[in-house]
Amino acid sequence: MARPHTRAAAALVAVSALALAGCSGGNSANTDADGGDSASGTLVVDTAFSLETGDPGRNYVPTGNMVLHAVYDTLLTLEGDDTTPQPALATMEQNDDATEFTFTLDEDRVFSDGSPVTADDVVFSLERVAGMTDSKANFLMAGITVEKVDDATVVLKTEKPSLQLPAIVTNPSLSILNAEEVEANGGATDTADAAQTFLDGASAGSGPYLLDSLDLTTQVVLVENPEYNGPTPAAYDKIVVRNVTESATQLINLKGGDSHIAVDLNGDQVEGLGDGFTVDSVPSAETIFLLINQNAEVGPATASPKFAEAVRYALDYDKILELAGAGAEQATGVIPPMFAGALADGADQDLDRAQAALAESGYAGETVKLQFPNDNPVGGVEFTPVAERVQDQLKAAGINVELAPAPFATEIDPYVNGTEAFSMWYWGPDYADSSSFLPFGPGEKVGLRAGWDAAASADIAALVDAARNATSVEERTEAFRAYATAMQQSGPFVPLIVPGNNIAADDTVSGLTYNPTWTLDLTALSPTQ
Amino acid sequence: MTTSTTPARRTGAGRHTLARYLVRRAGTSVILLLGVVLVTFLLTVLVPGDPVRAALGEGASSNPATVAAYEEKYGLNKSVPERFVLYLGNLLQGDLGTSITTGRPVVDDLAKAVPATGEVAFYAIILSLAVAIVLGTLAAYRRGKATDQVVRVVSLVGLSIPTFWMAILAYNFFFLELGWVRGSGRLSPTITPPPRVTGFHTIDFLLNGDSVGFFDAVSHLALPVFVLSLFTIALLTRFIRTSVLEVLDADYARAARAKGLSGPRVVFGYVLRGAALPILTMVGIAFGTLLSGTVLVEAVFAWPGLGTYAYNAAKGLDLLAVTGVGLVVGVIYLVINLVIDILYGALDPRVRLS
Repeated sequence: MARPHTRAAAALVAVSALALAGCSGGNSANTDADGGDSASGTLVVDTAFSLETGDPGRNYVPTGNMVLHAVYDTLLTLEGDDTTPQPALATMEQNDDATEFTFTLDEDRVFSDGSPVTADDVVFSLERVAGMTDSKANFLMAGITVEKVDDATVVLKTEKPSLQLPAIVTNPSLSILNAEEVEANGGATDTADAAQTFLDGASAGSGPYLLDSLDLTTQVVLVENPEYNGPTPAAYDKIVVRNVTESATQLINLKGGDSHIAVDLNGDQVEGLGDGFTVDSVPSAETIFLLINQNAEVGPATASPKFAEAVRYALDYDKILELAGAGAEQATGVIPPMFAGALADGADQDLDRAQAALAESGYAGETVKLQFPNDNPVGGVEFTPVAERVQDQLKAAGINVELAPAPFATEIDPYVNGTEAFSMWYWGPDYADSSSFLPFGPGEKVGLRAGWDAAASADIAALVDAARNATSVEERTEAFRAYATAMQQSGPFVPLIVPGNNIAADDTVSGLTYNPTWTLDLTALSPTQ
Repeated sequence: MTTSTTPARRTGAGRHTLARYLVRRAGTSVILLLGVVLVTFLLTVLVPGDPVRAALGEGASSNPATVAAYEEKYGLNKSVPERFVLYLGNLLQGDLGTSITTGRPVVDDLAKAVPATGEVAFYAIILSLAVAIVLGTLAAYRRGKATDQVVRVVSLVGLSIPTFWMAILAYNFFFLELGWVRGSGRLSPTITPPPRVTGFHTIDFLLNGDSVGFFDAVSHLALPVFVLSLFTIALLTRFIRTSVLEVLDADYARAARAKGLSGPRVVFGYVLRGAALPILTMVGIAFGTLLSGTVLVEAVFAWPGLGTYAYNAAKGLDLLAVTGVGLVVGVIYLVINLVIDILYGALDPRVRLS
């Protein structure tokens, strides 16, 4: 009889010790263990991480943009879903040639240590990215030089007209850092830079939030910046951005009150959310398209422009769009709808025209392999069912297609090397500007992947140059529209879908807006009044 | 069995034999480990695709300077044999290289991922073993009766249910519908992780005297442990049932029953002891499977473990990270096998003498 009593007593002592110990542990007994709520000033956001660093100059991934946009300011910014750059740390003026851009700093703004944001900080921050060739963001500064005029003025110069420069400087990779603090922690304007470790654990910016902790696999914690003196002060004491890779888990977390915002839900998931939730369901900045190679050595059956025309008019775009869910739209061209120059209407199915073009193309019924990545859905759109529907529709139009799916990591090489005759891929902008879609042009990056060099279509190549070198907004918009129209008529690409972006929040949060660069603007979020 | 074990333990010769046996097994393990490293490394370099392009993405991979910098930084500008020799050299110093996707030492990444998976797997195997012993033994004792049939059907269902589907279902039901457990991840967002001692949050919270953190960690562990256990419980139950059935027919078990010993005394004193060795092997295999096969469960519960790390590494063609995971899994299996062999040797002298 004694042994059971002894065990019970020991267990009681252990439990009591544990309960008592709780009072002195790291987490107090009244800690909100349910995931926080707006009353405590904590906002929890679930997203599938693409996060590599807390160093803006080395970041070039979506979650990094989302987080760092809240911690750092850029010279210009984007507000809401508008893609027109607006003043942030500075106002901007450009010369008539669009080769010199003068930025005048708001001299009142300060970093998180209270020191003022100066021209020296701007020069250091931008030259750091330009000098770190081992940074993913380095290409953003290609062809751009930075000069200090005075303590509050900086000039960015380009050799050729660059009306995309204002959009480029909104990218969080070009955030303005506290030069003195970063240099004191290993920062430099060349490959000797060693400030990443410091910036992975601390903030040296002027944004409304500070980086409290960063774990690349689990969560990032942001806290209010008490020194912030800009136009959008922090609305939350703390924001926790968690890595939840499964959208089904994000949905359950949101419905169960474990999180306040789910970033990566697909169209079907947001449609079933019901009352008590807000959904921002809009077309994204991505385009899913078919590539039809014009190189006869790569694609003997696809090389004729008439084959591309046949494919373009053989497809029933409405039926394909059914697979994409809420927020998605038919792609009207290579430029998605939110950008200047986007076309109002896309191609329509015209089977007679498709048959005629196919007859002219020299196609003799051979099977064409459709290659695509099958493990990388874009905006919730799975490529395999889309490819199957394309296959069915082309079969009805007399084109035999064999599906050839493969993992993204192995499929990307033949795509980039231009050895795919017929494939399905996606494209998103490097920065929020129409010029991010010029690579589809002949002789350009994506054009070459389709075996389409500049000589193959001198007319469209000229339109690319015109759009790239325009010096006024009106001229530029018109040039992009002409380019998009010409691409739609005779390019080797068949844009299919602009996938939807579906961000959902419970009704305690307001300010939910999709942005093509940082997806969700954390600084615009606030408790619902 | 008992009579042959006892004298061996008492003599110096017996201890000497056991020591030689251990040294021999450890040596074999090292050779096997080298084989694992070689095979994993070669498999990763044979996979088609360019890791630099996969890591840099569209924009940056068009920048030759950045591509060159990445190739040099991650040693991808060297030939495969050079890279392997370099890898082996670094490995001897405990350096598994730098992950091209996280930019951090693979050792550091694994040091976080392995305990996260280890904690789930540890509790899952304990739970599985406890439940499976009861169910398996019960089914064996009631062979052919309703209890046996129910256990067999239930274990068959447990083996057949897709783990990913069960994870989603369980999360939806126990968290969303019933509210019995907390959300995804290892801890709630507002809970500060404990100072790291073992890497197991439950133990580290206890060592830190933090009951709030402890119960939060337990609440987050409950579902992943439950879901992971279902398959293992089913597997072990069926195996234990078979093993117990074999022992039940053995002469010494019959003799024990004939002497009039009570059911529990026969079970724990004779039957389970007799079936211990094969069960031990199966438990080892099941534990290894739990540790290395948690990808889908970790994805559903946003668990930052080895499975998640391995999946991301493979998806991003992160060669050194994939090799590191392969090495860890290889070590886990080798250690498990070594421990099992040692236990075999300790429990049955015939093994170490053979």
